[in-house]
Amino acid sequence: MITLTINGVEVAVERGSTILEAAQFLGFPIPTLCHMEGLTPYGACRLCVVEIGNGSRTQLASSCTYPAVEGITVRTASVRVVRTRRMIVELLLASCPQSKTIQDLASALDIRQQRFRQEHEDCILCGRCVRMCAEQMAAGAIGFRGRGSYRGIGTPFDVTSEKCRLCGGCMYVCPACQLRCTYTEPDAAICGGCANLAPPCVNKPRFDDMMCYLKPCVACEIKPD
Amino acid sequence: MERLQSIDEFHGLCERLRVDRGADELPTIVIPAGTCGQASGANDLIRITKRTLLERGLGDRVRLRITGCHGYCQAEPSVLVEPQRTFYPRVGLDGMARIVEAVAEGRVLEDLLFADPASGRRVERQDEVPFFANQRRRLLARNEGVDPIRIFNAIERGGYATFIRLLESGRPEDVIDTLRRAGLRGRGGAGFPTWRKWQMLADQDGEQEKFLVCNADEGDPGAYMDRSLLEGNPHSILEGMLIGAFTTRSVEGVVYVRTEYPLAIKHLTIALRQARELGLLGKDILGTGFAFDVSLVRGAGAFVCGEETALMASVEGHMGEPRQRPPFPVQRGIEGRPTVINNVETWANVPVIVGEGLESRTGESTDGDRGTKIFSLVGKVANTGLVEVPMGTAIADIVYGIGGGSSSGKRIKAVQTGGPSGGCIPAARFDLPIDYDSLAAAGSIMGSGGMIVMDVDTCMVDVAKYFMNFLREESCGKCFTCRKGTQRMHEILEEISEGRGTLDQLNLLEELAEVVRDTSMCGLGQSAANPVLSTLRYFRDEYRRHVVDRRCDAFVCNHLVGAPCQAACPLGTEAWRYVAHIARGEVEEAYRVIREANPFPSVCARACDHPCEERCRAGTSGGTAVAIRALKRFITDRAAPSSYRPQRRSWPAGEPPRVAVIGAGPAGLTAAHYLSLAGCRVTVIEADAAPGGMLFCAIPSYRLPREVVRSEIDALLDENIELRCGAALGRDVTIDGLLEGGYGAVLLAMGAHKSRPLALPGEDAPGVFASIDFLKAFNIRGEQLAKGRVAVIGGGNSAIDAARTAIRQRDVESVTILYRRTRTEMPAFAEEIEAAIEEGIVLETLVAPTKIGTTNGVFSHLECMRNTLGEADASGRRRPVPTAGSEFRLELDTLIVAISEDSGVDAITPARGGRIEVTDRNTVMVDSATMLTSRYGVFAAGDVVTGPNTIVDAIAAGKRSAAMIELFLLDRPLEMRASGCLPSVYVEPPPVLEGEGADSARVETPRASVAWRRRNFAEVEVTLSPDEARREAGRCMRCDLEFTQPLQAELAKVGG
Repeated sequence: MITLTINGVEVAVERGSTILEAAQFLGFPIPTLCHMEGLTPYGACRLCVVEIGNGSRTQLASSCTYPAVEGITVRTASVRVVRTRRMIVELLLASCPQSKTIQDLASALDIRQQRFRQEHEDCILCGRCVRMCAEQMAAGAIGFRGRGSYRGIGTPFDVTSEKCRLCGGCMYVCPACQLRCTYTEPDAAICGGCANLAPPCVNKPRFDDMMCYLKPCVACEIKPD
Repeated sequence: MERLQSIDEFHGLCERLRVDRGADELPTIVIPAGTCGQASGANDLIRITKRTLLERGLGDRVRLRITGCHGYCQAEPSVLVEPQRTFYPRVGLDGMARIVEAVAEGRVLEDLLFADPASGRRVERQDEVPFFANQRRRLLARNEGVDPIRIFNAIERGGYATFIRLLESGRPEDVIDTLRRAGLRGRGGAGFPTWRKWQMLADQDGEQEKFLVCNADEGDPGAYMDRSLLEGNPHSILEGMLIGAFTTRSVEGVVYVRTEYPLAIKHLTIALRQARELGLLGKDILGTGFAFDVSLVRGAGAFVCGEETALMASVEGHMGEPRQRPPFPVQRGIEGRPTVINNVETWANVPVIVGEGLESRTGESTDGDRGTKIFSLVGKVANTGLVEVPMGTAIADIVYGIGGGSSSGKRIKAVQTGGPSGGCIPAARFDLPIDYDSLAAAGSIMGSGGMIVMDVDTCMVDVAKYFMNFLREESCGKCFTCRKGTQRMHEILEEISEGRGTLDQLNLLEELAEVVRDTSMCGLGQSAANPVLSTLRYFRDEYRRHVVDRRCDAFVCNHLVGAPCQAACPLGTEAWRYVAHIARGEVEEAYRVIREANPFPSVCARACDHPCEERCRAGTSGGTAVAIRALKRFITDRAAPSSYRPQRRSWPAGEPPRVAVIGAGPAGLTAAHYLSLAGCRVTVIEADAAPGGMLFCAIPSYRLPREVVRSEIDALLDENIELRCGAALGRDVTIDGLLEGGYGAVLLAMGAHKSRPLALPGEDAPGVFASIDFLKAFNIRGEQLAKGRVAVIGGGNSAIDAARTAIRQRDVESVTILYRRTRTEMPAFAEEIEAAIEEGIVLETLVAPTKIGTTNGVFSHLECMRNTLGEADASGRRRPVPTAGSEFRLELDTLIVAISEDSGVDAITPARGGRIEVTDRNTVMVDSATMLTSRYGVFAAGDVVTGPNTIVDAIAAGKRSAAMIELFLLDRPLEMRASGCLPSVYVEPPPVLEGEGADSARVETPRASVAWRRRNFAEVEVTLSPDEARREAGRCMRCDLEFTQPLQAELAKVGG
């Protein structure tokens, strides 16, 4: 067992746990986007950063990937951490404003505006779909390609994949297109989230007939919690 | 080659090599042929050398050694002759053939040697050339002795010897101890203590086999020291890795080298093959059972793969993406095995340090010496290349002592260290020692050692934008904050450089930079903020200039500069526009454009210092600038000032206010004119008998004829302006009196009329004159004060004016100008200095007066000393230092002191009495934005604020103060929104004829012959002919069309 201090509370966790698991065990809320139970942690979204260390020599690190180390001190909501989270949410809103998940994150932090040039992307490259496809569905049909602002997710050379079994898992886990409309008439949807749907592994034009590969649109089947 | 089976056989080989070389000290021609050498033509030199040696049968008398880079890239292709160490820089094809012959005959070719740029003195030995003399070339010197593709050569020079000694009788603990005492820290940038990293690897006692990695993915733009080590001495890296393997019990090594280094890859591949063949790599090395082999992995063009976890991913065949640490590579590295990654320079240091450590086992501590670091010194510096200096050397010593100072002649502003992960250090902090901690504290990092020198023509906003663009492209993209953060920071910097920035964005930039720094998973993102944060820290005013004033003072950001001639003019005169009209033969339009911006066009056409020409792109892009001033003269000679009718407005509310302007110089008269156009009633109060200020009383009439000044001033005076001459502030009027007497505002524009004294005793003796007094006496009263042998002390325009006036005076025999620095540093206009010398004035530079001598109370001689240029001071200019024993004496009759002007106590005291605050340089203090003095309602403009300055600056100040006074009188806030100065009017370019255009030669300004000039004060410069003017105007590159043509196209589409 490893003992560490989170927000002043000492906690003992199993060797191999991450700080995120330890904090969630204690009930401290840490927002996440790219993390998902059942998938290996990736550390792409940076929302889950926490402040590790003491005094002047602290660092911020993503709690989902940082292993619990004996004796470290962690703070999940220090000034630096909160400031960082707010900026990350602003950047998210600046890129992907139509995602309800991101809108909810913004409301939770009381952020109503973002100060950058507005973009409308439909992927935040969190990698959940890639890991879902590889780890849970054992297919590995999609992956990352390109670097930096050209980074994207898709099949090798954009060729329709033979490995893809059209399970829809990638769309299921996507935070940019999660929790969308609960209506069977997508036109009357509140958030218009299903208009984002861009399944990476299926070769379809966008926004065409709500680009369902199943009829009816599978988003309608997703019930809110 | 035969594989060596034992250590004894290795020693045997060393002995044979030593014997073979023998005691002969045959002269050897060493040609550095690293990548830069080959790119400069070293291959041709090698070819010529070989051919000459063969043809002349000199092969047994002269040797040839081809090596890697020696470091003095500026001087390549260069040749070094051993053992004399004769150094020949920048050798051409003919020179090479001559050198070969000279070497065979034991001669030295004087004319091909290095020449000191200041003194011209020739230096023969490489170690005395300033670039080399101030370095400590522990690693780079080895590149001179080793042929990288011959392993026997490397062994003969001591390669692998340290490793063999360790194999024989060394212990891993001793190696670690030696490294610890030597204090070797990683040279890749992070500076982690090498001994500790190796210790951690050695302590890993699992079953997995350990890896050693050499990180040769040198990605920083402008950094290439690793490249030259790999190209020049690859065996030193291999030996370092063998020593590392011995110490940590590793069995496998990888050199991860970037694909963009083909020569390094080639030399490494050859070195690996030869080492394996010889038995120094592989299983059972030299029969000792020790096994270690190295493989080469090539990068694929990603800067991020220089980061260790991304590098490991790449070696494993995955995308170069970093991962979280802990766990660290020593615990879990490539394929999960314990791994140590060190930089090329670190590995190269290992055999040197360990070798020395084994030598000095007497306990001699090397604690104080923290080793050397190689920097790549590039940018606006005279001597670019690779520089190896001890840790802790001050930046100034590298930039000036080794680098030779600025290459452009302009002031050095900053250095950028550490590549895209680093930051900028301003010139004021060049005393900083270079080491990991001091640079980090200053906001930069040591990084891999890149050092980019920047001068005043470098825009720091552009620098930040450049690095942010690089990081944006090279970010792997995994971390949201790094990917989006670099993209957004680049976006914001782009907006700022295009004139669309806001002050809020500066704060946003800082906030965002800090978040990116804090949240990124790897070093790329964590240090991505550095270029932005360090430029904001030290150069925030440049950002403000871009955002608030919409100006780029370095003339780099295209959308803020527009046409450089217009941007450079303090008045914003559309020089490109009137030049365009001249090219089309449209004289009147041209005059209108000039006069619209400038109320003194004829004056400026003769006496302006033409900042527009300094920035003209025809000049800055390698040719010669367009003769804009001469073209202006062409137009103003053809149009009468009265032909231009400016737009007049009437005062919007009530009785027109009254404004008092003190001083009828260019600043005061300009202000009066614009205030009159705005509807005010102006009284101009001038102390001298006639208006014009310096235009009239100081600038001689051979440069600026009296009639020209008078007619231009007359055109400006109208019924709104009352001119009162012979009335001085303090004596005849007071500020209190004016303000109480119904004047709504007062403008102080008295100029700088008091000569600064030399502060030597005897300055008040008869025969010694202050230059302003001397010039005024002649220009206003016609008194010719100069007699016999005249000396003028000073180097500015005032000194030249005084000298050229003196030489025309009746009783003068000779005129000599004495200046304490060199001619290139004289502040006077170059064409003025040229004209003075043409007229027979003698220019003596590097001379300073020490004593004014009198006989019978009258000036009779001057004692002087000669100077040399000494060390550069903080601004980068070399200080004149008196040379001991160089005293000499000049017998003279007249001495004119022209070292500078002050605003003058006599003008300032009444100003002070009027409760106006004054600086300690005797100038009036104003708020630079509003031009208000410390007293409400009193403004000041021109030389009285700035000290001696140019005419066009005074006119611009007058114009601006008029606008401010108008706002003041209308009771509006004193702010002027900065407007961009982008060209907006389309002037169709005429067809350019054959032989004309920017490549053709600049027109020579026609001048009267020297003989005719000497004895009269008639104007020296003559106007261009219409044909000359048209051709000269045709040379303009039309920088405006970039901005106006698209607008024109838009209008055409809409049918406008």
